[in-house]
Amino acid sequence: MIVFDKVCFSYGERQIIKDLNFSINFDERVAILGGSGEGKTTILKLIIGLIKPDSGKIIIDGEDITNKTEDHLREVRMKFSLVFQEGALFDSLNVKENVAFCLREYTKMPEDEIDRKVRELLRIVGVEHAMEFMPEQLSGGMHRRVSIARSLAACEPRMFLYDEPTSGLDPVNADNICKLITDLSKSGKGFIVVTHKVVDALKVANRFMFLKDGELVFDGDREKLLHSDIPDIQVFISELNYAGVKDV
Amino acid sequence: MRRLKEIISDLQDFYMLSVRGLLSIFKRPFYFKDAIEQMDYAGAGSFFIIFIVSLFVGMALSLQLSAELSRLGLKIYTGKVVGISVIRELGPVVAALVFTGRVGAGMASELGLMVLGHQVDTLRVFGVDPIKKLVTPRIVSSIIMLPALTIIGDAVSLFGGYYIAVFVSNQSGTLYWSSIREELIFENVFSGAVKPFVFGYLIACICCYMGLSTKGGATGLRQSTTKAVVTSIIMIIISDFILTRILLYVLGFPV
Ligand SMILES: Nc1ncnc2c1ncn2[C@@H]1O[C@H](COP(=O)(O)OP(=O)(O)OP(=O)(O)O)[C@@H](O)[C@H]1O
Ligand SMILES: [Mg+2]
Repeated sequence: MIVFDKVCFSYGERQIIKDLNFSINFDERVAILGGSGEGKTTILKLIIGLIKPDSGKIIIDGEDITNKTEDHLREVRMKFSLVFQEGALFDSLNVKENVAFCLREYTKMPEDEIDRKVRELLRIVGVEHAMEFMPEQLSGGMHRRVSIARSLAACEPRMFLYDEPTSGLDPVNADNICKLITDLSKSGKGFIVVTHKVVDALKVANRFMFLKDGELVFDGDREKLLHSDIPDIQVFISELNYAGVKDV
Repeated sequence: MRRLKEIISDLQDFYMLSVRGLLSIFKRPFYFKDAIEQMDYAGAGSFFIIFIVSLFVGMALSLQLSAELSRLGLKIYTGKVVGISVIRELGPVVAALVFTGRVGAGMASELGLMVLGHQVDTLRVFGVDPIKKLVTPRIVSSIIMLPALTIIGDAVSLFGGYYIAVFVSNQSGTLYWSSIREELIFENVFSGAVKPFVFGYLIACICCYMGLSTKGGATGLRQSTTKAVVTSIIMIIISDFILTRILLYVLGFPV
């Protein structure tokens, strides 16, 4: 379970997260919605211990991670698999080596098995043909998908964290990614997906949070979200009316 | 006051990085492949530039000394003075400065770009210690390759000096080499051999630290690379003086 207890965070003088409280089980399917620059990525970074809150506690699996050293945080991080918004592939390695990174790091898999596994992961995200490419030869969307494949190769996470997995993708690929996210959660592993696309959030998640000015202004299920009277959420949802999927 | 605090905390971070980077050599997991790759880049890649620079430094030094010493009628000492200056002082410093410009700058900019591209954060997310994975191989490669390059550079410099002494200044080649051989005593070789290890370690630590603390895009990268090179050069020159002082004292040379 992830618990945020009165968490505050600021970059320099600017306060990004104000007094945030919530708890999420490892098997939940959560979407964190919010405008650009509201601090969604910051929340994911806090969960995984890349940055430390100014005050408040972050409790993962009963352990307070706020004062842990890098060495101890490693165990916490292994519980998650995070896909960065930017993809962040290692640019000195080709696509295959990128995806194989965790396999090489943590397992003693023979070469042909690594090859098979990498191929399979790349097929799932639909970039099998780019196996020998270097990251700079990939388009933005391919970069993101390879990055997802790389995270999937990480050793058995308890929960997936996706930062804007579908932004910048064409509808077909975005839909594929949504399906992939859903498939991966079938085994009981939950996820937190950060996005500003309500359509995609509705496809995958069943619990929704809305972030505004560093505070959680909404936390509830699908019905509650669609009938929320918070103006910002209504703007987000109006996207659905154009698409005509409000009643899906 | 805040500035002072920042400086202290920076120094603390730097200290942590240098110590952990060095100690990690003896801790699992080992990243042999990364170390080999770094050595290839740092060592084999720097060979040519070290060769050229050392050759001309040796020739210029020999030329200056022949001119001055022959005026005093002490031409026969050319080999001796060239030998001492190159082995004890010039060789290690010149190699370290060249190494900073070529390899140190490369380390700082590469790591800086990795920070900006969230690749270092990704390593942390995957549970990989960036110091172990990125800094330690670079320290290893520097403390192995810089001494090796220094030895090559010394030899090339001495050869350059020989060329000038014999073919330009018309001295005896046998005398040149025999006076250099006389200088290859333990004290001289030792004081020349300790320096490149220290310099290599310093360069790797400073440049990795600056690279990893990069912030803020292309301008930030420019700043951190510049800072890495400038700080390394200053630290090489200062620590060279300190080391010389200590070594002369320890080895019992009267000053
Ligand atoms: N390294 C940093 N230094 C200073 N400020 C930062 C830094 N990273 C982010 N911020 C600020 O923190 C705020 C929240 O950033 P965050 O990346 O969490 O936004 P986000 O909700 O993920 O936005 P987006 O949807 O655009 O990805 C932003 O206003 C940004 O200006
Ligand atoms: Mg973001």
